[in-house]
Parts: sequence; structure tokens; C-alpha cells
Amino acid sequence: MKKVNYKNFGIVLVTLLFSLTACEKFLDLEPPFSQDADNYFTEPSHYELALIGAYDLLQGSFINLWIGEIASDNSIAGGESVTDSQGLHEIEAMTHGAVNRELRNVFQWNYAGVGRANFILENKNNIEFEGKGQIIAEATFLRGYYYFQLVKYFGDVPLVIDERLGADEVTELERNSKVEVYAQIEEDLKFAAANLNPVNPVKGRVNKWAALALLGKVQLYQDKFGESATSLDQVINSMQYQLIGDYRNLFVVGNEGNSEAVFDVQFSGLEGGSYDCLICLEGNAAVGFHGIRQYSGPIYSDGNSYNLPTQDLYDAFEMADDIRRNATILDIDSFIGQQANPSAITYAIGGGGHTGLYNNKYIKKANELGLPDNDLTSPVNNVVIRYADVLLMAAEAHNRSNNDGQALLYLNQVRSRVNLSSVNTGGPALTDAIWNERRYELSGEGHRFFDLVRTGRAASEITGFQPGKHELFALPQIEISLAGGNWSQNPGY
Amino acid sequence: MKYLLVIAFMFFIGSIAFAQEGTVTGKVKGQDGLTIPGASVVVKGTTNGVATDMDGNYLIKVANIKTAILQFSYLGYATQEIAVAGRDNLSVTMKEATTDIEEVVVVGYGTSTKKTLTGATSQIGGEEVEKLNVARVDQALQGQVSGVAINTNSGSPGGSSSIRIRGLSTFGDNDPLILVDGVVYDSEGLNALNPNDIASVNVLKDATAGIYGVRAANGVIIIETKKGALNSAPQVEFSSYVGIQNTARRLDLLNATEYAVIKNEIIGSAGDPVPFNNTSLGEGTDWQDEVFQSALIQNYNFSVLGGNKNSTYSAGASYFTQDGIVGGDKSNFERINARLNLGNQLNEKVKLNSVILYTNEKRRALPENGIGSVLYNTINAFPNEPVKTADGNFSYLEEVTDIINPLAQIENSENQAIVNKIVGKEELVYKINDNFTFTNRLNYNYAAVDFKAFSPLVWYGPGKAQNSALNANLEPTRVEIADSVFIERGASVFESRSTFVDLNGESYLNYNRIFNEDHSVKGTFGVSVFQRTGNQLNGSAFNIPGNSVEYADISANLAPGGFLNNTGSFEFEERLLSTFFRGDYGYKGKYLGSIIIRRDGSSKFGPNNRFGTFPTVSGAWLISEEDFFNFEKITFAKLRASYGISGNDQIQNFAYRAQLDGEGVYVFDDVIVQGVAIGRASNPDLKWESTRQFNLGLDLVVGENFNITTNYFIKNTKDLLFQPEVSGVLGTNGPGGQSPIVNAGDVSNKGIELELAYYSAREKKLQYAINFNTTYLRNEVLKTPEGVEFIPGAAFGVGGGVATRFEEGFAIGYFHGFETNGIFQTQEEIDNATVVQEGAKPGDLKYVDQNGDGVISFNDDSDRKELGSAIPDFTFGLNVSASYKNFDFSMNVFAAVGQEIIRNYERQQPYANQLDYVIDRWVGAGTSDENPRLTSEANRNGEFSDYFVENGSFMRIKNMQLGYTLPKAITEKLKSNSIRFYVSVNNLLTVTQYRGYDPEIGSVGGALAAGVDYGFYPQARTVMGGFNFKF
Repeated sequence: MKKVNYKNFGIVLVTLLFSLTACEKFLDLEPPFSQDADNYFTEPSHYELALIGAYDLLQGSFINLWIGEIASDNSIAGGESVTDSQGLHEIEAMTHGAVNRELRNVFQWNYAGVGRANFILENKNNIEFEGKGQIIAEATFLRGYYYFQLVKYFGDVPLVIDERLGADEVTELERNSKVEVYAQIEEDLKFAAANLNPVNPVKGRVNKWAALALLGKVQLYQDKFGESATSLDQVINSMQYQLIGDYRNLFVVGNEGNSEAVFDVQFSGLEGGSYDCLICLEGNAAVGFHGIRQYSGPIYSDGNSYNLPTQDLYDAFEMADDIRRNATILDIDSFIGQQANPSAITYAIGGGGHTGLYNNKYIKKANELGLPDNDLTSPVNNVVIRYADVLLMAAEAHNRSNNDGQALLYLNQVRSRVNLSSVNTGGPALTDAIWNERRYELSGEGHRFFDLVRTGRAASEITGFQPGKHELFALPQIEISLAGGNWSQNPGY
Repeated sequence: MKYLLVIAFMFFIGSIAFAQEGTVTGKVKGQDGLTIPGASVVVKGTTNGVATDMDGNYLIKVANIKTAILQFSYLGYATQEIAVAGRDNLSVTMKEATTDIEEVVVVGYGTSTKKTLTGATSQIGGEEVEKLNVARVDQALQGQVSGVAINTNSGSPGGSSSIRIRGLSTFGDNDPLILVDGVVYDSEGLNALNPNDIASVNVLKDATAGIYGVRAANGVIIIETKKGALNSAPQVEFSSYVGIQNTARRLDLLNATEYAVIKNEIIGSAGDPVPFNNTSLGEGTDWQDEVFQSALIQNYNFSVLGGNKNSTYSAGASYFTQDGIVGGDKSNFERINARLNLGNQLNEKVKLNSVILYTNEKRRALPENGIGSVLYNTINAFPNEPVKTADGNFSYLEEVTDIINPLAQIENSENQAIVNKIVGKEELVYKINDNFTFTNRLNYNYAAVDFKAFSPLVWYGPGKAQNSALNANLEPTRVEIADSVFIERGASVFESRSTFVDLNGESYLNYNRIFNEDHSVKGTFGVSVFQRTGNQLNGSAFNIPGNSVEYADISANLAPGGFLNNTGSFEFEERLLSTFFRGDYGYKGKYLGSIIIRRDGSSKFGPNNRFGTFPTVSGAWLISEEDFFNFEKITFAKLRASYGISGNDQIQNFAYRAQLDGEGVYVFDDVIVQGVAIGRASNPDLKWESTRQFNLGLDLVVGENFNITTNYFIKNTKDLLFQPEVSGVLGTNGPGGQSPIVNAGDVSNKGIELELAYYSAREKKLQYAINFNTTYLRNEVLKTPEGVEFIPGAAFGVGGGVATRFEEGFAIGYFHGFETNGIFQTQEEIDNATVVQEGAKPGDLKYVDQNGDGVISFNDDSDRKELGSAIPDFTFGLNVSASYKNFDFSMNVFAAVGQEIIRNYERQQPYANQLDYVIDRWVGAGTSDENPRLTSEANRNGEFSDYFVENGSFMRIKNMQLGYTLPKAITEKLKSNSIRFYVSVNNLLTVTQYRGYDPEIGSVGGALAAGVDYGFYPQARTVMGGFNFKF
């Protein structure tokens, strides 16, 4: 009897085991309504959609508006307190080091942009279709742009081209030299310029001239003045762009996409977001942050009092009637004094510093509110390359490659738009004039610090700037660690 | 289909002939001479058992009338074993139990007794749970058993707890597996259970939990609900309690006068004009007075249980409702539940067990535990402002943008979650013969969750981020939907409908036999198939008419063309496929050994690593059964040891592959366009994390009344499921991007547990029981992922640095910041200091130069150090109960010692209100060496340092209760078995140095946010009265 019992038991066991092994398919589930990254790019729309993803990271450009100004002599960090966005306060004081959230954002966001462009480019040969060339060229442009940000901030950075890395492959990467990175950027931008259409009918998508303008800028940053002049001249000679009449209308939402916008990052005021993820916003975070703290009054709207212009910048405008001063800087008390009922207008001073001045180009205005959280959501586009910038870069490139005649022509175009008299000088004096003009024309737009560094004037203009160190920002220490700890830190940090 | 085959096959196993078979009858009585119906009579070593009838009689067939041993047991009585020795009539008198090592304990897929358990477990009876009058069963576990830490995540009604068995072992999900009558519950789901329905709770703490394999690494809690007994008269019970809750604590904040003086100082010190020319403002508004209120808690409970010859039943219904001490009915939890447990002996061999529980829960909640929560606003609101201004509107608290009037906030909060839940099982138990039992069951857990939140147009004051209206007249904002086309954006409502369904089919075979009297063999073999699905559809709609909650439904929206309205959805499915085996062997009742092997396949993992095997061995030696053991005082001694591996698969689905679920959104032609982007990076080699646990334990019974249980354990968790930061170069830091989930990092928990229980003899007039337990725990991170020095945790302050970390050599989530060494008293002191602290002024905190380089480095970690951890070194529980004549008394005390808390509920804003310790601030040389100067000048006093870390040790009297049972004479006149009245206080007293509301704070933001106090919703002090009728 016992025997029978055990045999039965054995049969049951076997049956159960068998029933299970046959069921292993039970665990093969497919994620519902979701697409795999590895089997994508099977139809043209996939390229279009992935390209939108690659454009998305351009919206991180708002951080240049902060760091490009705060690191320079143009503005202070501001904000609620000195520990509110502490990284910016450290940059303001030139005490920034390898632990800095904002700088890490620059590193992360631009590599995310590179990654999304690479996702398209690694799959560029999957299928053929009409219009693919334009998409590939746009993706290549974007990669060039993102690498330019990285090299501008950090110098040597590892190049990842046309591939996605696995987590363990990162530790094998070395930092590529600045020269190699610039070579790659130029290659990408030249490819883009050659393949992009001169006119892109979709607002917000780049064209040939944007690529050439960025190429010219990249060349200028390497002191390749002749090549830069050639690139920029093509933009100017295309006759696609011209300075708009009234400088004060440059940063008004209603006037976006004007004839001066060569390359502008698009924002929308229709989607909210959270302070926890500024890169996730569709609105321009800088605008709300620049707003006047707890402002209650006409024209402007309230914000977080970030990135406050310095008196030094205010005083720098040599001509008090230069309309660009008040278009660039809002002197709040003077503004309130000019209003109908000044005593009804209130605002607060943040614990992070106060200069009485606000960035008047990118600032929250009452008729440009975004939703649902006004602080985070602004529709104001960030004009990354403005035609005036192209003219001034071209002027500098010509001047520094001994073609002052062309340089003066471009410089005086910019001056005459704001009714200033023509400059008529040459050589180093003209170089100085162009550089000064860049400050008058472009302050508040995130160029100043990088201009000072590239032209070797940072140490003389920025308090606390140590030559040989502060030309580059420190690589985030944690990024060095996460990449295996083999990278050396930038000098001085 | 296959299961049907198996079942059919099992039925096919034929009848078995018995040798020397016979029948035994008899009567079971108590010491008082009364018969005991429903007592269990089982032939030892088999599953052959019957219950006594209404008159205490039984009749049982035994296979061998000469050798059979009968076990008699009944709840509350000591189990007896009597050899039949050929007799056909056997009556017994049961002794009331004091300490019962024969008590049946439910373990995974079977039962054992305390005596023969080889694992480390702790039990609590239903009576103890019921006595504590808690809303959730897990709250009753705190302080009752060693090794289990329960921390309330929120004192708000319906708030959950974090349950940690033997420490934190992983970065992510640390919740144990919770089974109620064999059905999986998540810890959130425990809200559905009425604590009065609990019959027993058993906590499997060591590797013997490995019978549950890939989900057992955090321990297992097995809860059984009340069941009826065969042949017992209906026992009807009606009980109720009603109580008033109040906050047990208020913070000492500045009053209006103190506030004005201090703010003048702060703002004046930066050279700005002082805000208050007149500082005689009296007391001003006490915002805590305004926000805290008395709130009602009520519970009504009805149950009936009993059984006849073939069936048992236990049914009940209950109603529970609790208002919040903040927000009253805006912070309410309500639960209605109905339950039915049925056992039916369909025929001699087959029994059907059915459990069904229906719950309807409603919860309304306020923003809590974070920046922007009601209490955060309450603490920071200015005492110089009234609640309402003369025009009857809520005051604006204008000076700080981020602080809004907490009462306006409560008034504007409108949300409700309704959960309808049906949980249960259908179980068919086939008794093949005396040795084999075959169980098949289907467990199900169905939950429908409906959530609705209304966001009216509100105006909290100029510049407030929470404003949804354009101005104080509550005019809607306008949105530009196309060039110069504007639409109004009014009040909105968000609704979601979600359904979650768990289905779990299980089949297992139990074997139980004693060979040659000395060799007892038990075996369990089975399979389990588990599937969890869920989906949600949600939507939001704008322009709700009248800005009124009355019309707060998507259907009522008036948004033009639906331009603003939005929808969303998700769906998921996950599966588990398991086989398990447990073999127990006992020799002469002295040497016990057990082996567990479980093989699990989980759909969470890719084809590379889908299946895992989890083995456990355990053994016990009953020393007291040895002949050489002759300590008269020690009546029972057992040494236990176990070692095994269990797993944790609690991660998101499909983490092994990359999907296009990132966020690729940009703006073309002024319209937001959706593209695609990779979400989480893939990791095809992902696998479960595994915990290797060793346990050594000793159980002693001294005399008859004194139990001692002690355990030493080492629990090492390897291959932690992490989503660590990865190099930015990987490109995963874009919108919607996530790091891959990887297996990396090791954590160790070591500890000692001690449980002591003393019961006075039953015969005495004054009866009492004392239960004391303590746990020592040491948590340490042994390894972080390669290339990662630490994983950052919770942030400190607003936009501030990271205060907690996961780092090798330290406890999980330890605090990391500057050490202070008093205050700089004079400029001279700063100038002469050997350490340069940039920007320091007299009155500033003096930081310690940890690396000795003569400079305080604010930009790197070189001068930061460990400042504490949220994990207590020791926890203690003390439970005392006593009865004298008709009075009874009980008290439960819980204490945790050696943990720290980060004070993170103060807004570092010039105008925010502050705790009154700032009155003792530094105002000149020699005035304070503890609290720094107050200034709105740039300073470094807000850096995360030990100044913000407080001792979190506390002792709390959780419950104290005094009851009176009516004398029998009266009770009988009322045709009742027993009538008891009681008064009880929960959370009577807390002894702590902690300044915040409640030192017992959970970990809302996960393991690394433990111990960070964001303005925690405190647990209420509740005074209640109740009664208990039994018929």
C-alpha cells in the first residue's frame, strides 16, 4: 500500500513540474501600448517624432541666460536666499567648484540632447524616404549645438557619435581634447549647412543660415577669424535677415520669429510644470525666475528676482540716451515713480540680493502670462542667435582678420538701428568698440561671460576671476566619479 | 486546464485501507466542569481531525487504536496529547493556557506549532490587536513584537505606515509581503481591513519566509481573520467606541510681539528699514489654535461566528470614521466593510473554505508633509496677521510668496478617493488520507479606485504660486490658444478611475506522518500562479460652473471646444510563476530540521534572468527534551538556527528593456508638438535582489509562566535594485528620461531581538501579564554601485543641498553635513581663528574643519561629515495588562532610542514665523553659543549642519485602557455572555527632546528621506470610550 502511495506522489510531482515548464510562456508579457526603442525607425514619421525629442533639449538654453550673465560682470544671482540655487550664487562669487547643480544640469541636459540626436543618426540608414536628408541635417545641427555648449563650459569632453552607450561603456570613455570636440562640431555644422534647406517653413525648425551662423560663432570661439567671416558673410548675404526697427520690441511675444531671429529656441505658455524638473517645462523658466518678486502693479508680473543686472552694467552704457539701456535693464524704483499711482505698486526684495535692477529682456510681463504656474511657464522664446549678434560677430571676425572696412559696415548697421552715431576707427580700437557694442547690444542674453573669456578680458572685468582656472567651469565631480573616476578635473579646481 | 488535470488526478488516488482501525469517543470539558464545544481533536502526525459538538462530545476514527495519540486543543487552553492505548472512550479536562507552546501558528502553505517552529517568528493574537483600538492593523504591531518597526507615514486619517522587518535592506521597496488569509495585500491596502476581524498575526522574520521566494526578502506578515468553530453556538458580538482626538503637541512659535522684534532685527541687520515701527502687537494670531481642532473618531462593529457539524461561519460588518485634527472633515477617512468566512465540509474528504471581504473606503486629504502643506503654512504664517481681514476675506500673508493662509487652503481643498474592494478566496481542501491533504485555491483582490479633486479659482494674495485666479475677484486667467485667440481658464476638476485585479491560483500538497513514533515527517509541495493587472483612465476638465464644488464633475465642464481639457490612461500587467517545496523532519520531538526550496519566475525580468531559486535550511534542537536536561525551573528550551536566501522583485515593469516613454515635447509653429524619446535606459541583465539571512535563536519557558525568546540575525542584501545616478554622458537626463535600473550595492542589517513575557497564574484574583521586547539593530551600506561614491537622498531647505545619503560604511539614508562648534562671538575671534570660514561674521555658526586644511570648504564634501541617521539603535515595547475582579487594565509603551531627525519645516525666509528658540539667538558677544544671529544678510548659517539635526529618541504611551465587565449575575439577566465597558487613551504621553510635532515620523519619500521632518501631520491623542457586548 505504501508503495502505491509514493508512486502516486511521484506522479503528481512530475505532473506539476511538467505543467509549469509548459507555462513559462506565461511570463512573456509585452508592454502595453508602448514602443520599444530598439525596433524603431521603421517609417518616416518615426524620424520626425524622434527629431522633436532631439529639439526638446534646446529648451535647456534658458540656463545660459543665467550663467552667461551671472558669471560675468553683468548681473548677480538674486533669488529667495543665498542657498536658493546656491550654484548660481557660487558662480556669481567665482567660488564655484565641482559640486554645482546648475553646472551639472548643463552637462546632463546637453548630453541628453546629444543622445537624442545620436538616436536618430545611428538609425539614419534604416529606411529611405523623401525629406530624410533634411531631418538628418537638423539632427546633426542639434548635435553640433549641444557639443558647442559642452565645450564652451567644460573644455575637453568625451565625444559620443552615432551610438548609444551602455552603462558600463561609459567608464571606458576618455575626455576628447577641445580641438577634437571643435573639429566634430564644425564637421556637424558644415554637414548641416550643406544639407539644410535655405527656408524652413516650420517655425522653430532650423535652416541653412542658422547652421552657418552657429558655425561662424564656433569658428570665432576658436579665433578662426577668416573662416568665421566667411561663414557669417553667407548669412548676411543671404538677405534673409534684417534688424527690426524698434529694439524695444525684440523680446515681445507678439513679435516673435521676427526678421532678426536667426536661431531661436521655442517656448509655449500653455503647459505647466514643476520646480523639480525645469528641463521638462515647455515654458521659458528664466522669464518667470527673472520676474519682480511679489510684484503687484502694471505691465510686469511677479517672479523670483533672479539674475539681477548690476549697477556696473547700468553705468556701462556710455550714452544715456541709448534706448538699449532701458530696454535691457529695468530700474524698478524709477519705473514705479513714473507710474500713475506709485504708492499702489508693491514688490519684495529677495534674500539672495538686490540691485534695484531687473533683466528687462526676459522678464515676466502681465500680458505674457503662462499657465498654470506663472512662475514656470512663459511663452517668451530664447533667441540664441540674433541677427545683430551675427553682424557683430562678423564685424569682429573681419576686424580681427584685417578687414576693418567690412567690420565698420556691420558695426554701424547695429548702431544706426538705435540712432547712435557711426564709429569710424580701426585696428584694436575698433575691436574694443565692437566688444563694447556687444555688451550694449546683447547684455541680458547670456553671451557676456563667454565673450569675456573668449576675448581674454574676463580677468580684468570679473571680480574674483582667476586666469588659468575660471575660463572653464569645473566638471561636476559626480560626473567624473560616475564615468569611472578616470577623468582629470579642469585646471585650478 | 492543467490544474483541472492535476485535481482530477488527485481525486483518482484511491481509498486506502486501515490497519487496526478503531473509533474513539469522549467529552471535552473545562476546569469549571462546563463542556467545550468546537474543541479540536486531531490524531497526532496526521491531518485527521474533528471538532467537538455542542455538548463537547467527539467521535474520531483512528488508523491504529493502539499507537494513536490524540491532540486536544481549544483557543485559550493548553493543548493536551493523550495516547489512546487501545481505549475507545477518552474524556479530557482542558487547562486554561498561560503560555502555550503548542499554539498553532500559520506559516506559509501550512501550519506548525510554536514548539516545532524552526524559524524566527513573532505572533500577536486578535485580542491584543482589538484592544488597541487602532484604525489599521499594522499600527497595532508597533511595540508588540521585536524586530518589526512600524512608523506612521502620516497622522492623517487613512494615512499609511511604513513597515520594516529587521531594518532597511534596500534602496527601493522595503515593505514586507502581507498575506491576509493567503491573499496578497499591499501595505496601503491594509486600510481595508477592520482590526476587529483579526484572529492572529504571524510575522516571519528570518529566512524561513523564503517559502515566498522572490517576494520574501523584506519578511512576511501572515494575517488570519476570525473563523467559526465546528459545533459551536452562535456567538454574537457588538462593539463600539467613540473618541475625541486632539493634537498631542503644539510647536512653540513666536507670538506677534516676539515676531515683530525679531523680524526688525533680521531685516534691519541687512541695512533695510525695519518693518515694524510698533512692536507692541500682543499675542497676535495663534495659527496652530486656528488650524488644529478636536475631531471625532467612531467605530461600530458587529460580528457573529459559530458552526454546526459540517460547517463554520464567521460574518461581520463594521463602520469606522475618523476626522482629522487638521481640517476636520476635509481630512476624513471612512470605512464600511462586510465580511464572510465560511468553512464547509462537503463530504468526508472535501472541505470548501470561502473568504470574502467587501470594503468601501472614502478618504479626503489635505496637502501634507512637505513644502506647501497646511501645517507647513501654519508654522510659517505670520502671527501679526489676522485669519480674516476686516472685509471678511482670508488674510494674504503677503510678505512671503510661498506661504499661504492655511485656513484658506483648507477651505479650498476638495478631494475624495473612494475605494471599493472585494478580496477573498475560494479554497478546496481534499483530504486524500490521514497523511495527504491537497489544497487548491483561487485568491482574488479586486479594487476600484475613484478619485476626484476640485481646484476652484482661488486667490491667496499677490504673487502666490498657488493662485489659480487672476485677481482677488476670482476672475479666471486667460490662455492664448492661437494668435490673439484667448479663452478663459476657470475652475477645474480632475477625475480618475482605476481598477486593480490580483488573481492568484495555488495548488499544494501537504504530507504529515509519524514513522515508528520517533520520526515525524511533514512535506509541502505546490505551485502558485500570480497575476496582477491594473489600469486607469483619468481626465481633467476646466471651467466648472459657478466655481463651485457642487458642479465638480467632468460632465459639467464648460471649457470651449475642450482646448484645456486633458485625458490620460495607463495599463499594466505583471505575473509570477512559482513552485515551492518544504520538507520538515523531526526526530523524537527533539531534533527538527526543515528545508525550503522555492523557484520563482517573474515577468519583471528579462528572458536572461527570469527564474530564480531560493533555498533555506533551518533546524531546532529542543534541549529541554533531552534526558540530561534537568533544570527544574526551565520547562522548555529550544535552540534554533536558519540560513537562506530570499528575493525582492519590487521594481517597475519592463525595466529590462528600453521604451519610447520619455518626454520629447517641443514647440513648432507655436504649437506644442509631441515627439518620442527614450524613457528609462534598458538593462537586459536585470535580476532580483537577494537577501541572505542567518538567524540564531533561543526560546525558553521558565516555570509555566515566563517565556523568553531571543534572536541574533545577520541579514545581507546583495545586488540591490537601484536606479542610481548614471553618467550624464549616457544621455538619460532629459525630460522623462531615467537611469537604468541596475543591480548594485550591498546592505547589511545585524541585530539582536529579545522578547520576554510573563503571565500570572490563572487562578489568582489579580491576574496580570507583562510583555517586554527590545530590538537592537545596526544598518550599514556595504557597497555602492561601481563609480558611485554615494547616492543622494532628501534635499534640505528650499533649493538647498542634499542632506541624506546612501554611502558605503554608513547607515542607509544617513545625514551628511557640517559639524558646528558654537558661534563666533567676536570679529577678533574670526580674525584669529586658525580655520578660515569665508564670509563669517560674529554671531555665525562656527563650522568644524574636518580635513584640517585650515579652510571650511563649502563647495565640496571635504568638511562635511556624518550627522546621524533616522534608524534607531534600540527599540523597546512594553505591554502590561492586568485584571482584578471585574476590572481590567492595559498599557502599551513604545520607545525608540538613538535616531536623529532633520528639522526641515522651517522656511528660511526673512518674514516666515519661527520657533521660539530663536529668542535665545546670538545678539552680541557672549549671548549665545548655540543659536546664530538672525539676519537677512548673506550668511552660511542655513547650510545643512548639525544645528538642524535633533535627537529623535522618544518614549510613548501608545495606549492605556481601563475596562469594567458587568458581573455575571447582571449579564445573565440581560441574556448576554459578557458586557464590558472601557475608557481608553491613545497616544497619552510622549517623552522626547524633539522640538517638532511628532518624533515618530515615517519615510514618505522612500528609504533615503526617512527622518526628514517637513511639517509632519502628527498623530492625534485620542480619548475614547467603548463597550463590547457578547451574546
